[in-house]
Amino acid sequence: MSPLVATLRDPVTYRRLTYLLVGMPLGLIWFVALITAWSMCLGLIVTPLVIPLLFVIAFMTRGFAAVEAELARALLGVDPRAPALGAPVHGPAGFWARLRALFGADFWRAQAFLWLRWFVGFPVGVAMLSLLGAALGMLFAPMWFPFVPGGAHVGLWQAHKLLESLALVPLGAVLLLLTIALANPLGAAFRPIAAALLRGPEDQADQAEPNRQTSTLAATTRTPPSRRALSAHAVASSALAALTIVIWAVTSRGYFWPIWVVLPLAAALAIHAWRVELGERPALVKRFRGSCSLATTAGVVTVLWLFTFAVWAITGHGYFWPVWTLLGLGTIVISQSVAVLMSSPRNAEMAERIEQLQSTRAGAVNVQESELRRIERDLHDGAQARLVALGMSLGMAEQKLAEDPKRAGELLAEARAGAEQALRELRDLARGIHPPVLADRGLEAALSALANSTPMHVSLSVDVPERPKPPVESAAYFVAAEALANAAKHARADWLDIRIARIGHRLEVEIRDDGMGGADANGSGLTGLRRRVEALDGTLTVTSPPGGPTTVYAELPCA
Amino acid sequence: MRVIIAEDLALLRDGLTRLLRDNGIEVVAAVADGESLVREVLARKPDLAVVDIRLPPGYRDEGLRAALELRRRVPATAVLVISQYVEQTYAQELLADRGGGVGYLLKDRVMHVADFLEAVRRVADGGTALDPEVVAQLFARRRHTGPLERLTPREREVLGLMAEGRSNAGIAEALVLTIGAVEKHVQSILSKLDLLQSPGDHRRVLAVLAYLQSED
Repeated sequence: MSPLVATLRDPVTYRRLTYLLVGMPLGLIWFVALITAWSMCLGLIVTPLVIPLLFVIAFMTRGFAAVEAELARALLGVDPRAPALGAPVHGPAGFWARLRALFGADFWRAQAFLWLRWFVGFPVGVAMLSLLGAALGMLFAPMWFPFVPGGAHVGLWQAHKLLESLALVPLGAVLLLLTIALANPLGAAFRPIAAALLRGPEDQADQAEPNRQTSTLAATTRTPPSRRALSAHAVASSALAALTIVIWAVTSRGYFWPIWVVLPLAAALAIHAWRVELGERPALVKRFRGSCSLATTAGVVTVLWLFTFAVWAITGHGYFWPVWTLLGLGTIVISQSVAVLMSSPRNAEMAERIEQLQSTRAGAVNVQESELRRIERDLHDGAQARLVALGMSLGMAEQKLAEDPKRAGELLAEARAGAEQALRELRDLARGIHPPVLADRGLEAALSALANSTPMHVSLSVDVPERPKPPVESAAYFVAAEALANAAKHARADWLDIRIARIGHRLEVEIRDDGMGGADANGSGLTGLRRRVEALDGTLTVTSPPGGPTTVYAELPCA
Repeated sequence: MRVIIAEDLALLRDGLTRLLRDNGIEVVAAVADGESLVREVLARKPDLAVVDIRLPPGYRDEGLRAALELRRRVPATAVLVISQYVEQTYAQELLADRGGGVGYLLKDRVMHVADFLEAVRRVADGGTALDPEVVAQLFARRRHTGPLERLTPREREVLGLMAEGRSNAGIAEALVLTIGAVEKHVQSILSKLDLLQSPGDHRRVLAVLAYLQSED
């Protein structure tokens, strides 16, 4: 009983109840607005009007999501530090870059959340409201039953007399309390979903997210995040499709309406898969004259046309109207191809690439600059100072040699100890710049030497049949070395799992520990690493929720 | 004893030559790269070659490769590899053929002249000299497993010196013990680690290293 009482006395429960109830009107509003906008979009797809409409959808989604984010913050207590949606998009300059930022991952997450609010939130809201209504009705049955013809109704049972209606009161009270208590777990279920989906754009989202689950099992390693997202999408789509088909099967079984759910889902999934494929196989982009945007458009247009073709086929053939869609979409592809063919360095792709190169080069120069400064400082404070002291000891020994040979011997021993210390420091410094064994024997030997020098238990798996170029190899090494140092120093981990594999033209590095997490992805060590990796056109992702575990994942292209 | 030195830095080459000559060791040649080392060893058949790992033209591990080639082609010549770094991987490569007369030391050890000369003589006589740093790396590797923890601190010291390649007499001298006491420690270590008493100091080193490198 006491957990129920505690739940009922907890103000959190009432906030969650409010959140669930609010889902009813909000879910309806989001649904009506979005379904209208997207249908108009589909309808106008062959006309230029679709472009302003897409902008309307983008801003509408952000606005709705901002409202939801505020609600989640106020009523569900989702981490207020998480960056909000709805904030203006700070992105790289350039029309295409802005456009891409506008329809970035945050946009689709927000879309997903708004639809979820309709498909799940609305029915839940309705159910909660009905339960509350029923409970209140029973609770106050003695007051209103005389005014209603036929008395108070509860299922098959009717209360015509005062005594009968009084019996309903305790029933109503129990139902009321249970309904309120039910709001607690139901609201809690929305918490992680809201936290995961109502995040801001990717570059702000590096900071720790308490509710995002990092994979702790080996099954998901080696799979890049984009693949994982695609499989999640595929699973979600199939589930939704299966659900509608089941609903159709158990209800009317008449007209096969679920096709209207399955088709758009399949189209969206196909576009997503095409994007992932393009990201993973740069060779594919080369067929489109190296233009990523043309390749993307070609895929999207193909999917959209197949979609309209399917619509035509399903809706009873007849007049072949998709020819107009084909014409419209074809015009887009042809004009973009012409633009790419006639491309000059002022082309948007190139401009964007130049921008990216400028920023990564600046990063690389910064890293180098601060590295050199660190080395200079280490030399100055370490080996140089020791050599000065060594020279002094030797000079004094020389002086004492004739009159006090014993003291001279002591000074010489001191000098030797100083020389040894200087050598040790220089060795450590040199190893920090570039470990010789890495150049001589490659990643596996260098990393196993590193693994041997730490008290943690390190499991190492290196699957690199052909040695990558030295800069890639040493970047991979230093990613692992930094992750290892952090795990030992900050995360207080006991074991560490290092996996390096060459997959096609990419080198993947993943380091996981069992430490306490909470790593600062913007700390100096990780920032330096990120710049080093980005200078090689790679990416570095750090996932480190408070409480752990920490995963550092780097992808380096090695053609 | 006749020795050949392969070291590309003139300063160190001359220093080593002088150090060995001052202590009554004959330096028959001092060369600066791996190819001339192999050529000179084949021509002069010295007792020992002292080789720097990093030699021209690549300044990577040419010296180590030359040393491994020597062990294959002229097994009678002992090889002492010296370097600014020690890597367990290299030690394994040097010891892989299981023959004696091999050494792998940090250049720093030259500063302890007496110890260094002792190692030079030991290697030339078919023994082993492994740098304490390599041994420390091997110990670190086995720190998670049980049997090493059953050793007393003194026994662990003795085990380290055994792995470096020292004889019982050498261990006794280093730890200021009697030879009898060292023998007792060695027996106790071998039985605790389930190792067989093997004849010859080099065999003993191999057994100890095999134990320290084994994975489990």
